[in-house]
Amino acid sequence: MIKTIGVIGAGTMGSGIAQTASTAGFEVILHDISADVLQSAMENIKQNLRMMVEKGKVGSAQATDALSRIHPRKNFTDMGSADFIIEAAVENLDIKHAIFKKLGPIVRSHVVLATNTSSLSVTSIATLTRTPESVVGMHFFNPPPLMKLVEVVRGKQTSDAALKTTTDLAVAMGKTHVVCRDTPGFVVNRVARPFYGEALRLLGEGVASVEEIDRIVKLEGGFKMGPFELMDLIGIDINYAVTKSVYEQFFHEPRFRPHPIQRQMVEAGTLGRKTKKGFYAYP
Amino acid sequence: MKRIFILGDAALVEEYASLCLNKNLLVSGRMNSDRSLPSKTIRGFSKSTKPSKAMDIALELTNISPESKKKNLIELASKLGSRTPILTSSVTVTLGEQSTWVKSPQRLVGVGALPSLLRGSLVELTTTRQTDQKHLESAKSFVEKLGKQHSMVGDSVGMVMPRILCALANEAFFALKENVASGREIDTAMKLGTNYPYGPVEWAQTIGIQQVHAVMHALFDAFGEERYRPAPLLRQYASSGVSALQWL
Repeated sequence: MIKTIGVIGAGTMGSGIAQTASTAGFEVILHDISADVLQSAMENIKQNLRMMVEKGKVGSAQATDALSRIHPRKNFTDMGSADFIIEAAVENLDIKHAIFKKLGPIVRSHVVLATNTSSLSVTSIATLTRTPESVVGMHFFNPPPLMKLVEVVRGKQTSDAALKTTTDLAVAMGKTHVVCRDTPGFVVNRVARPFYGEALRLLGEGVASVEEIDRIVKLEGGFKMGPFELMDLIGIDINYAVTKSVYEQFFHEPRFRPHPIQRQMVEAGTLGRKTKKGFYAYP
Repeated sequence: MKRIFILGDAALVEEYASLCLNKNLLVSGRMNSDRSLPSKTIRGFSKSTKPSKAMDIALELTNISPESKKKNLIELASKLGSRTPILTSSVTVTLGEQSTWVKSPQRLVGVGALPSLLRGSLVELTTTRQTDQKHLESAKSFVEKLGKQHSMVGDSVGMVMPRILCALANEAFFALKENVASGREIDTAMKLGTNYPYGPVEWAQTIGIQQVHAVMHALFDAFGEERYRPAPLLRQYASSGVSALQWL
């Protein structure tokens, strides 16, 4: 029976996952190595919950309870009291390896160790743990409280029991899950690549402009956002990094090859909305 | 502009004819004998309907077979009045290439026709240097009559939306073949994870597997790049005419 979820990393994803879990009724131990990050995560969660109350999505008492269930902890060994761990540190294999190695002696033996990776191999992350069978991918989408989807990733060594515990937890957290094999980009980050890749090629070949491609994709295709608007929102650097990662993990499969326009924009520091300039300007 | 003649792949003829009828236009025409037969017969359409000089505009909507497309276009160019514009799908064959098939290339305007795209409110058009301005204006006013906006794009295989959409579907079929997830799960993931209006597998089914395959095959041929290689599963289903329902 899972009562307490340990979340490692209190950045955008970690704090969003903590909020989602606490709103669903779980106790949450939220860890980060930085006290500042922990503090601002708690402030963000408080503000998000307040907005949810204003919008009538949760009751005021419910929000207060949810907040009280999140326990920010700087001490890593506090993860020992968690029944389920979700690691949401930065997307860096060395850092994730170090975290999973440290978790080994701390957590109880049956505890599932989930990683919220979007582009690293779950099988690879599991290699340095004592219990690779209990490591599973649990890929939340940004922002976790709003996005319904969780990709539950079965690593090469993941046990059926760990997978079942994770899919049950996803349901208990109010999410829709899809189970996928541990392959580069899983489902979403892989299948979505042509949406950006072909748009960039069409632009590069002069078939249509940024504005026209976005207009066509929205009005003709019925997509909510065009590929360039979406790249600006995600961050051109993030999108480029995901593309590169999928491309490299597939041993340079040409379908995933990044486009020079992406790299150039990253080099120029025009990364989208966050720098006020990307494919569009944001004054 | 009242009398419309439509020739081409069954699914596209059906989609365009239905919309024309809705807009009180007089339509007649013929469907290619491809596998994706229409679910209903449309008034004014039979196997033997021929184009005549009385038409105001003609549509050639073949994507699957370039041979049928060429035959249809040559027939239209010879039977229609010399001033009748022809709106021709330029998704699997560029308008430039089609222009070499007929003696009057100035009357050709390219359209990005792919089943399901008339659900949207925009139609892609393309021209060549030979396209006569007045024929382009006729094409634009026809699109307007259908209640759609238009966008002028370059004459390139796949144009814009068909190229992006079919590449997405193609990738989904690679993932499907590799057992990354089931078709239903791939669709759920793309709709919830990226807000796509439809999942790529169900969308490919609506478009028609043969249509998606034809677009990928044409892109692969046009660019000579590995990235456009049709997914083996897509090729397999396209050639066997199997319904996509089976793997959903």
